[in-house]
Amino acid sequence: MTMIGIEERTAIREGFARLLADKADEAALRRVMATESGHDAGLWSAIADMGLTALLIDPEHGGVGGSIVDVEAVFEEAGAALLAGPLLSSAVMAATLISASSDGDAKARLLPAIASGQTIASVAVTGDKGLWTLDDIGVSATGSALNGAANYVIAANVADLLLVVAKNGDGVAVYEVDPGAGGVTLEALKGWDSTIRLSRIVFDAAPATRIAGLDGAAVERMLDVARVALAGEQAGACRRIFDITVEYLRTRVQFGRPIGGFQAVKHIAADLLIEVESATSAARAAAQALAAGGKDAPELVSLAAFACADAFHEVAAAAIQLHGGIAFTWEHPAHLYLRRARVDAQLFGASDYHRERYVSALENAA
Amino acid sequence: MSSTDIKTEVEAFLTAHWDSEARRPREGATRDWMQKVFEAGWAVASWPREWFGRGLDKDESKIVLSAFRKAKAPGAGQDRTNITAASLMNFASDEDFKREILPQLLTGKVQICLLYSEPGAGSDLAAIRTRAERQGDDYVINGQKVWTSGARTADYGLLLARTDWDVPKHQGISFLVCPMRQPGIDIRPINQITGDSHFNEVFIDNATVPAKNRIGAEGEGWKVLQTALAVERLIMGEGAGERRQGSSKSNVVSLIAIAKEAGKLQDPLIRQKIAQATAYRQLNALNIARAKEEMAQGSSSPIMSLGKLAMSRILHTDAAVMTQILGAASMLDGEAHERAADVNYRTANAYMTSIGGGTDQIQRNIISERVLGLPREVELDRDVPFRTSRAVTG
Repeated sequence: MTMIGIEERTAIREGFARLLADKADEAALRRVMATESGHDAGLWSAIADMGLTALLIDPEHGGVGGSIVDVEAVFEEAGAALLAGPLLSSAVMAATLISASSDGDAKARLLPAIASGQTIASVAVTGDKGLWTLDDIGVSATGSALNGAANYVIAANVADLLLVVAKNGDGVAVYEVDPGAGGVTLEALKGWDSTIRLSRIVFDAAPATRIAGLDGAAVERMLDVARVALAGEQAGACRRIFDITVEYLRTRVQFGRPIGGFQAVKHIAADLLIEVESATSAARAAAQALAAGGKDAPELVSLAAFACADAFHEVAAAAIQLHGGIAFTWEHPAHLYLRRARVDAQLFGASDYHRERYVSALENAA
Repeated sequence: MSSTDIKTEVEAFLTAHWDSEARRPREGATRDWMQKVFEAGWAVASWPREWFGRGLDKDESKIVLSAFRKAKAPGAGQDRTNITAASLMNFASDEDFKREILPQLLTGKVQICLLYSEPGAGSDLAAIRTRAERQGDDYVINGQKVWTSGARTADYGLLLARTDWDVPKHQGISFLVCPMRQPGIDIRPINQITGDSHFNEVFIDNATVPAKNRIGAEGEGWKVLQTALAVERLIMGEGAGERRQGSSKSNVVSLIAIAKEAGKLQDPLIRQKIAQATAYRQLNALNIARAKEEMAQGSSSPIMSLGKLAMSRILHTDAAVMTQILGAASMLDGEAHERAADVNYRTANAYMTSIGGGTDQIQRNIISERVLGLPREVELDRDVPFRTSRAVTG
């Protein structure tokens, strides 16, 4: 459970929102989009100074001992601003994996620098199918060498440290890899959303160090944490683009009145509000369930995964239509939200996968 | 009297007369209990003593209410929940009538039905054309009402009738308490698409209502109604979370059970549909739970106004998924296929929620206008004398 109280969480969230408004507004985001790395080092150190890279790491290793509930709240703000960079891959995915290990040496060596933001870590999970399941792992370990390929790795292009999920005999294990080592080839992929940088990484007898105590179940648990962070991002982004759209409907005048007065338009807005509120509720409920470690956690995580993905996509897509021509221009932010929505909808398992997992969980509960 | 005194007194009253284990009065029937609560002034504790209450302030009233709740005893808090009684008190109404009817209302001795909607006034309720014409001490009523439940057993109907045709539609309406058992009132059941008959048409042909039975001034009926509806929504909102949450899982089991029964539970397409239908219901429950939490912390929540629209999607989706699971069997009904009969019933009955109490389309207007602040719908007859509007001229 979290060591952060409700009031402190609210303060962290509000502080982060101010930082983003100040240093990660739309103009700043567009500048980052145009860079080769897709990463704003100055913003990253400000985020680290706020302790946000240390949320999931325990105080013993330089962290603040927060939980997924805190992360979810922070990611609502990150999503609203379409924050680019390695927060999800480093502070959530990598921090969760290493923290779950039984490898005292790896924890002591790696976690403090991840907590301080000094090390940026990235986690390679899925193979070329992009399913994020244990059946779809493209890397195999032989002794301390890795072979194969991992795909759709988030922010690997700016990572100082790679954690690679690999098949190891009959099981699954996690390896620490130096991205600069021989036998590691990183191919930066051109993506539709340039605020999220994806890479395919090929391993050819790449040297790797196994992190003890991490198996397939630990990888699954890490993925659930990542899914809830992503659900928070989707809920926050969904609400922001909705608010932007409703404001436009109030002020854009055609036929002598604001277009939000037309039922063909306002009825869509009313329906979308249900999606926006449902996304927030689902993301927060999943975070609570996961933090509590209850039996309903898989059910609520998958519910949040597909409900938030679908809500964000539906709202972002409708936002362009409701704005009309202005949102068909590159300069308008609506398409940036649609880009993020379409990429987010694929990460860590698409909606169909999570609907299936949700029904299975309901069956087991019945 | 201090808060502690009130608490002591109300708890003593409850202990003496109410068996909270068995949830029934220690002696007599529920009717007698309601009479006791009324006589003790607990029914409407915030009203003045000369008006059946105790003159308590808001916080003191809460003490009474929570003691009753704790004992699971009915009858208290009617200053908020008995909308008819509260409307009579809150709007200028005849003193003799209040003295006569309030005790009956507060002790549950009379039943009330609603005479609001008309064939020509559904979503546009202010377009009512039932007329109330003053003749001496009475109003003479002529017109037709629809969608009245409980009309046959009601002693009184809360009647919206037009008293002035020469002012805009919202301004010419009066709110009357109409005695139902009289020759000018003819009640006929409506046969619904479900096969049920919950509602009635009420034909009113020269019925009379004493003028003293009016709530609020003549022409103030719309205002009285809006206040009553606002209170009703508030009460429903407060109760909605528990009721809907309580039912949120029941459907989960049934969709999976129906699929299993039909041999379709392994069909991946059906599983996707079950997930989506169940998610709508669970998300609504999560929304309501969050709204209650936010309201408990003192912030307002727009979510309560979404519940009805969300529920109509839930019910229609459930019925559609069940139909898909049944496949060809959904063509059958009655004894030919009991499951199909149930699904067919749900299919038809879902419209009760998406039309009744404000259609989905009206709900979307309300949400977009009141929650999102979008411009109000244009109303062509808002500012013209009702007599000249198309509701009358056709």
